[in-house]
Amino acid sequence: MDVWYQCEIPYPNVAKDVLDRAPSVRGSLPNRYCDPKIAADLFEECIDEFLLCDDRGLNVVAIEHHAGINSLLAANPMLVAILARQTRKARILSLGTLITLRPDPVRVAEEYATADVISRGRLEIGFVKSGGSEMASSNMSAIDNGWRYWEAIDLISKALTSHDGPFSWEGQYFSHRHVNIWPRGYQQLPRMWSATGDASTSRDVGRRGMVHALVLRGPEGTKAAFAANRQARVDAGLPAQTTDNFAYAALVAVGETEEEGMRLGEKLLWFLNTSMKSAPQFGKFLPGGAPPEAAPMIYRSRRAPDTPTPAGMKPSIGGALIGTTPHQAKAQGILFAGTPDSVYKQIMDFYNFVGGFGHLVMIGRSGPMTHAETEKSINLFSREVLPRLKAIAPVQAGFNQ
Amino acid sequence: MSTVTTAPATQRVPVAGVDLDVLRRGPGQPLLLLHGFEHIDPRLPIVDLLARDAELLAPSHPGFGGTKRPKDFGTMYDLVHLYLEYIDTLPAGPITLMGISFGGWLAAEIAVKAGRRIGKLILVDALGIKISDRETPDILDVFNAHPDDVVKKSWHDPAKNAPRYDDMEDEELITISRNRETLCRYAFHPYMYSPQLKRWLGFIKARTLVLWGASDGVVKPSYGEAYAKLIPGAKFETIAAAGHHPEIEQPVALAERVQAFLKA
Repeated sequence: MDVWYQCEIPYPNVAKDVLDRAPSVRGSLPNRYCDPKIAADLFEECIDEFLLCDDRGLNVVAIEHHAGINSLLAANPMLVAILARQTRKARILSLGTLITLRPDPVRVAEEYATADVISRGRLEIGFVKSGGSEMASSNMSAIDNGWRYWEAIDLISKALTSHDGPFSWEGQYFSHRHVNIWPRGYQQLPRMWSATGDASTSRDVGRRGMVHALVLRGPEGTKAAFAANRQARVDAGLPAQTTDNFAYAALVAVGETEEEGMRLGEKLLWFLNTSMKSAPQFGKFLPGGAPPEAAPMIYRSRRAPDTPTPAGMKPSIGGALIGTTPHQAKAQGILFAGTPDSVYKQIMDFYNFVGGFGHLVMIGRSGPMTHAETEKSINLFSREVLPRLKAIAPVQAGFNQ
Repeated sequence: MSTVTTAPATQRVPVAGVDLDVLRRGPGQPLLLLHGFEHIDPRLPIVDLLARDAELLAPSHPGFGGTKRPKDFGTMYDLVHLYLEYIDTLPAGPITLMGISFGGWLAAEIAVKAGRRIGKLILVDALGIKISDRETPDILDVFNAHPDDVVKKSWHDPAKNAPRYDDMEDEELITISRNRETLCRYAFHPYMYSPQLKRWLGFIKARTLVLWGASDGVVKPSYGEAYAKLIPGAKFETIAAAGHHPEIEQPVALAERVQAFLKA
């Protein structure tokens, strides 16, 4: 198993009363609350943490979010470029430029090819569908988001793999008459990932053979999405894949004692408990965010406590998780925290429950975690947990299902 | 929502590959009514009021209400051509075209294209053009603004007239959600206007009345006045105690203005 370190580079420095008053801490919070000097310090610390990971045998992940306290990474290629130059061994996963929100996938392909060359072939490309406040921040609508997603991926893939001069693309969502990128990528085509949990997209990911990543989805949702992926390949007559095509992302905190690990885990939960607050126009009322048939369950102000999450909505990452305690998060499989032995056991319990995965994405810093705490957790993890995970070879996915 | 009457029937009319749901009511010359953010609920009082002296034809745009949207249909261009085809099926002679809000934008586009086939044009709180400078939005962003703000700015009397989702049936909520999604598809970018329409308004040949809810905070009466000035001979009037939806908040006053204009 490979392990990938992720930090969203959050900005936890806005006063609580400001956050309490704001209808949303994403999308519409004025940037006067962001002190650029503090932001510079955060970038410096967090990039140093990525470099520490490189040194310790962890791979690294660069994400993208817009206009909120949850992340300062509005421009994914900027961090990818820094990591491409400053790391030496780590593979670098961009997870990723929000391609359904960018008007020009060819430019995205140029950015990726450049980073792949700078890193001498250490780039991996991940795609996320995005949603919520990201739509407003990027001047986009969520209508047809899924269709734009696949067309953008197809165009980026073709741009990265075409070497015989300009080609033309006149698709339903993107039109580019003259595609001919320089430099070409260092790899013929970097491995591609897709972060998604809904059944329909999971099946697409399975048929396409991308690495299927689930983010904070918990055991049941992850198991179901992986199963949909595998079944789609069976239905299409495609060969089975190994665990190397599956990934799970969770909050991970390691301490010398169980208490220390849980204390850090509680700080990581800031990501859910504080940075998720979002106004209804970015969530339940976002056109295209959920199918119209879900409206009875989400439009009314009073929702029955046992109402299931509507089809097409993300059940795990969202308002429903606000208020989660460390013990609840641990029980839900979204937080692996404690001593190295305990964390290893939690990961392996999850691994066995969902049918295996070859990549663990560890979200290792969030909220008020300090640089020192993060480095200590990374060091403990890489010294005492990573070797045991590295020893797990790929096997057929769903081996025990 | 306001008091409702018995629901008149709708007809399904095939036009240019679309099964258009058309609410048809009343005797007389055709009055084609193009709706705004929501399709015209057949139970609304405005339906009978407008159908008193005219044959009211109120279609639901594809994707709204009961009209299904074909997969290859999703732009203002499609809507304009659909309704030009529909107008062709109506009896010869000038018709009255009335559009509310988003439907006002659509009506203005059609009036530019249809020339003298449109005898009279009535625009109610119409969208569709850009008036102010590049840093001043003319039209409230109903998708990105907080829903409470949208309600406040949409209605003269929100407490009385704004829809209450908690009290609605499942089917109504599904339709509202589908309508919002469809509206987004037709009018998201540029938001609720065509950069070119303003240039062509001066070529509208129909006699035109521009009506505006005096309390409209989605798009202010001053925008309506500017709109009217761009259409040759157009008259501008406001309707008191109405926001962006005079057809719901002041149906009697709206119908009276329409009828007076049609008789003049």
